[in-house]
Amino acid sequence: MTTLNWGSISSMLVLFGTAILVVTVASLIKSSKKDLLVQVMTALGGLGGLAAVIIYWHRVSSDGAKLSFADTVRIDHLALFIIGVISSIVFLSALTLKSFFAREKLFRAVTTEIYVLILLSATGGAIMASANDLIVLFMGLEVLSLAAYILAASNIRKAQSQESGMKYFVIGAFASGFFLYGIALIYGATGSTKLAQISQKLVSGAFVDDGFLLGGIALFLVGLLFKVSAVPFHVWTPDVYEGAPSPFVAFMSSAVKVAGFVALIRVLGGALIESAADWQPIIYAVSIASMAVGTLAALVQTNVKRILAYSSIAHAGYILIGIQAATKDGFAASLWYLAIYAMLAFASFSIVAAREGAISGNSINDPNHIDNYRGLASKQPFLAVIFAILLLAQAGVPPTSGFYAKFSVISAVVDARSYPLAIVAMIIAVAAAFIYIRLLIVMFFTPADSSLLGGATMSKTAFSKTTSKTMSPITQLDASENSDATFDKWKKLGANKLNLAVLTLAAAFTIAMGVYPAPLLELAQSAAQSLV
Amino acid sequence: METAVFIVAAIITVLSAFGVILAKNPVHSVLMLMATLFAIAVLFVAQDAHFLAAVQIIVYAGAIVVLFLFVVMLLGVDLAENLRVEPIGGQRPLAIGATVATAVLTILLIIVAASDSSKPESGDLAGITQETGNTGVANLGRVIFTDYVWAFEIIAALLTIGVIGAVLLTRRAKQQEVEEEVVEKEGGQL
Amino acid sequence: MAEALTNTVWFLPLAPLVGFLVLVFGFDKVFDSRNSQKNVPEKRIGWLASGFVITAFVFAVLQFVALLSLDGHDRAVTKTLYSWIPVGSLKVDISFLVDPLSVTMILFITGVGALIHIYAVYYMHGDKDYRRFFSYLNLFVFSMIILVMADNLLLSFLGWEGVGVCSYFLISFWFDKRENASAGSKAFITNRVGDFGFMLAIFFTFQAFGSLGWQDISHGASSATASTVSIIVLLLMLGAAGKSAQIPLQVWLPNAMAGPTPVSALIHAATMVTAGVYLLVRVSPLLEASYDWVPQVIMWIGLVTALVAALSAMAQTDIKRVLAYSTISQLGFMFVAIGAGAPVAAIFHMITHAFFKALLFLGAGSVTHAMDGEQDINKMGGLSKHLRYTTPLFLVGWLAISGVPPFSGFWSKDEILAGVYNNNRFAYVLLLLAAGVTGFYMTRLVLKVFFGKPNYTHTPHESGKGILLPLYGLAALAIVAGILNLPFSKDLLVLEHWLEPALEGGFVKHLSFGGGTQWVLGILSIIVGGLAMFLAFRIYHSNRFGSIQKVVEHQFFYKAWHIDQALTSFVGGKGNRMFQKAADFDTKVVDGTVMGVASNTKKLGGVVRLFQTGKIRSYALWVTLGAVALLVYFLIRAL
Repeated sequence: MTTLNWGSISSMLVLFGTAILVVTVASLIKSSKKDLLVQVMTALGGLGGLAAVIIYWHRVSSDGAKLSFADTVRIDHLALFIIGVISSIVFLSALTLKSFFAREKLFRAVTTEIYVLILLSATGGAIMASANDLIVLFMGLEVLSLAAYILAASNIRKAQSQESGMKYFVIGAFASGFFLYGIALIYGATGSTKLAQISQKLVSGAFVDDGFLLGGIALFLVGLLFKVSAVPFHVWTPDVYEGAPSPFVAFMSSAVKVAGFVALIRVLGGALIESAADWQPIIYAVSIASMAVGTLAALVQTNVKRILAYSSIAHAGYILIGIQAATKDGFAASLWYLAIYAMLAFASFSIVAAREGAISGNSINDPNHIDNYRGLASKQPFLAVIFAILLLAQAGVPPTSGFYAKFSVISAVVDARSYPLAIVAMIIAVAAAFIYIRLLIVMFFTPADSSLLGGATMSKTAFSKTTSKTMSPITQLDASENSDATFDKWKKLGANKLNLAVLTLAAAFTIAMGVYPAPLLELAQSAAQSLV
Repeated sequence: METAVFIVAAIITVLSAFGVILAKNPVHSVLMLMATLFAIAVLFVAQDAHFLAAVQIIVYAGAIVVLFLFVVMLLGVDLAENLRVEPIGGQRPLAIGATVATAVLTILLIIVAASDSSKPESGDLAGITQETGNTGVANLGRVIFTDYVWAFEIIAALLTIGVIGAVLLTRRAKQQEVEEEVVEKEGGQL
Repeated sequence: MAEALTNTVWFLPLAPLVGFLVLVFGFDKVFDSRNSQKNVPEKRIGWLASGFVITAFVFAVLQFVALLSLDGHDRAVTKTLYSWIPVGSLKVDISFLVDPLSVTMILFITGVGALIHIYAVYYMHGDKDYRRFFSYLNLFVFSMIILVMADNLLLSFLGWEGVGVCSYFLISFWFDKRENASAGSKAFITNRVGDFGFMLAIFFTFQAFGSLGWQDISHGASSATASTVSIIVLLLMLGAAGKSAQIPLQVWLPNAMAGPTPVSALIHAATMVTAGVYLLVRVSPLLEASYDWVPQVIMWIGLVTALVAALSAMAQTDIKRVLAYSTISQLGFMFVAIGAGAPVAAIFHMITHAFFKALLFLGAGSVTHAMDGEQDINKMGGLSKHLRYTTPLFLVGWLAISGVPPFSGFWSKDEILAGVYNNNRFAYVLLLLAAGVTGFYMTRLVLKVFFGKPNYTHTPHESGKGILLPLYGLAALAIVAGILNLPFSKDLLVLEHWLEPALEGGFVKHLSFGGGTQWVLGILSIIVGGLAMFLAFRIYHSNRFGSIQKVVEHQFFYKAWHIDQALTSFVGGKGNRMFQKAADFDTKVVDGTVMGVASNTKKLGGVVRLFQTGKIRSYALWVTLGAVALLVYFLIRAL
């Protein structure tokens, strides 16, 4: 008989329940406080998901993984780890969105819907993370993606946003088709959609070089590699990210990708671990291609959002390195990288969103052009310093979290004796540093006023005159009293403090995970251990 | 008999599928699509999957294709796009090549698989049609509400997203809000 | 007592870290009741920063005292703060190794660092980013302490990257000038190449030894295979070459002179650039266990660098660039020493070099200060009349670096020469030549700056006491530091005895000749140095030998053998084009259109006509092609 253990899926229930509650409450209340209430509820929903994760983490530690719903749901450390990451991102997203809504007037009417979609998308991610069955996995993927498509298109006044959502939807549906075919073929080969049974069948050894199975794996991989935007299934990423509203890009590039990766890890590292020799070469090639294409393309972009989009493709390549190793250490390294990356991507795109807001009134065609970041260090020093920390982390400079993230995946493949992959990954890491140093130079070492370029002399008197207004990036952390007009406006909206707090938290997390990574590493390690 | 039905239905499927992409008139394309779907329904019947056949006709032919027709009508049948202009050079040959390659590869893989002695065993879902004394639909229902109850529940979330998405994307700013926005344009910066 | 004292080792990095944080967050303002907002007096900021470095120095001295109270072979204390990376097969702690080598390093790093901080308090006077400057400097000292005190490769790498980042930021400190920003990125990029080697070495080390601790590496070195060890050493050498500006990664250091002078003195002369030398001395047992040709490679790289850079230095016209090439050259000497099996000589020279080169740089800062920022030595001359204090101080540095006894440079350079003579006679001759060239270009510099006719109109003024004070300290050290390791008797080799436990099992070649030969070698180097200095005197003071001057100041040498140019033209020209093409492939071909979303939308307008752009179709095509590729692969596998 099927056991329905509702308690075990409490984190999903909390996220989904909050979504429903938000819709209901919002439709009943007309007061002007509605926005705030909805925001608080969403944030609490994220926290609630996290709380459920924490409670269950200990139960799973003592009792082992919990299976329910006819073994289609598996709550283990892996699932909880990822749900924890996703819930945290929901929480942070909820905090940052308010100033965005205040800026883009149009959203006033639909703020509730946005919060609900974020909660529902996160629910989909949580379903994927805990899926122990390919059909459930697919359903989770669709819940996750459908909400993301709508988020991408949600700025209905901007054609770019609409276009972006449309593209994402059409091409996403296309990839889902592959995914579903893959599931069908795997079922055809093994006679089951349940991960545990597939893995048992594979252990029995009856499916060596089975055409159905291999074809199934291939098509299945197409669907998931698309979701994590790995080369050559990445083509949609830069355009969709560029067009979609930045705060939602922050969510998509973190939570949605995390869910895609956990599905990969769960299926490849759990059900299909026996046929690792079959899929490892594919991941190998895709990983190198993603790192190389992402890095090279990011170097020549002039739009900061596209730079970050391509850099996220490169990061996907690095995360795949750990999966390629197909060892427990490798999966742990990938999971750790994933958690770190999620925070970095989220915070970076949030900064883009904030910066975009500061200059959207200007007559500049492309608010995300790299030139708009010129001299950011003197205009918004705090933002610049945080962005610098995030960029250094993405470049893998110690003592930030990004360093150990890269280090751990590479050391996992070195352990697995894939030396060429490790060396290529490191060479690309060297090249990738250019992407981030370019942004740093623009922010810190380029005068905001372009007329200063070239003609300035270094004599001290000359520059004490020209720069009496500009401030040093670090010393003016409390520069909110600064005369910078855009900053004042941002402040006036009353939401900036919260955004700054979230960004500060992200930067602190980035540093803390570099200096003292042990606790999170242990979590990632036990998550990887829970793979079947 | 089964083979004969398969051959006829398969030929209709493939031919009308070609018809979908070759027809100049969008309405013809849609009708061809319907023919394809019907032929596939016949294939399902031949496999004793009566429920699937019914779903195929009701959902695809009944709902989706009709929706297509509506869209085609709304946009205007005579609004013919110039299909000769290729936005990307060499796209068509590439697309054809890719399609043929995918088809050939899949078939080859399946042939390789079929030549293996190890036939796939009857799977979990086999119960839907195999169990005697019951109709397929009843078994399907049982499976959905037992083994796949979680996947079934998740549909609730999908439907919610559908509704909310429809509300969000079709919402238009009210006139008053638009005016407000013009006034506050400068103040509304982050 | 030693136990209690070594427990204080954590205050060493803590002091500058606190300094950094205080300056960044402006905590010092809290204590200032009068000006709670801005306008904290500059000097207060500077002295605060210096105070933290002086504190670190005090704790460094405490570590020294602690080690002295221990027996020779017990002088290696590991202090663990916490477990950094505790899981999986790789276990790395945040822990420090207090041993003679690290304490020696830390003493001169914090000591010289403190002096340069004090100098900077006055030198940076009036700069708008005074606070930012000192926060970077403190962060640098912190990273440097991590680098040398770390008890394992990974933690050391953390400091390694940290000093790198501080260095780039400080080189680009005056970014109003575009060259300065690009000089910073040049340093960053070149160092990335070196870091690549370092990272790879970390992985191989872990593979070979199952640990990254210095002591585990030392103990395991002899049992590891020579090929693995050789690879590790060569990769570390790549990292060291990047940081210590050895050929072919030396190109960044001359440009790094764009930074403020105290930065050049502290980071690009005395401390950071010697990190590579430290690293190789640290893994000395690996050199011992590697193939015989590996140390030879290190020696020859150092030798070529020493010669090429010295020959470039003699043609430079910018006072700081002369010193920069001189630094590269002197670092080459240290690598030669390591490769020749004389690590003690390398460390000895590192210490003396830190003193006299910092002295020279700070002196140069004082000179440019007097010249209102002018750095071209052709526009100087006769400054000895105006700079009554700077001149003798600079002359001390000159004598020390030129190898005139009894100044410190003579002793350390001589020890390296003896070590090389012991190893390879031909290399000895070349190195002697490099030493001679050193005397030549330094004499040229001194003559052009301080003597002869003035080539300027205004009256230079001497720097203030604050600037001169650290110079006195460094000058004193540059004179007497030779007593650390005098070759006259075994008892006088203080440094060698002191470092002995840290270098156990290391690549040390004992001299195969007696004291007599050493006397001969010493006298020989005095003769060669004297001749070179005399020649320079004749050319630049008595204006003889014009033809030699032409050769010496030839464009070839001025452009540093065109190495930099060749690299730049490749990276900027051919390489860049190749690179652009590769990148274009994705943006142009894969995306199907040249421009991004916005332009298409504008051109065509409307969501419905989206499909006309063909982008979605091209996306679908790429996804399909990817799927085909996967299927082909599996088909091949299945068949």
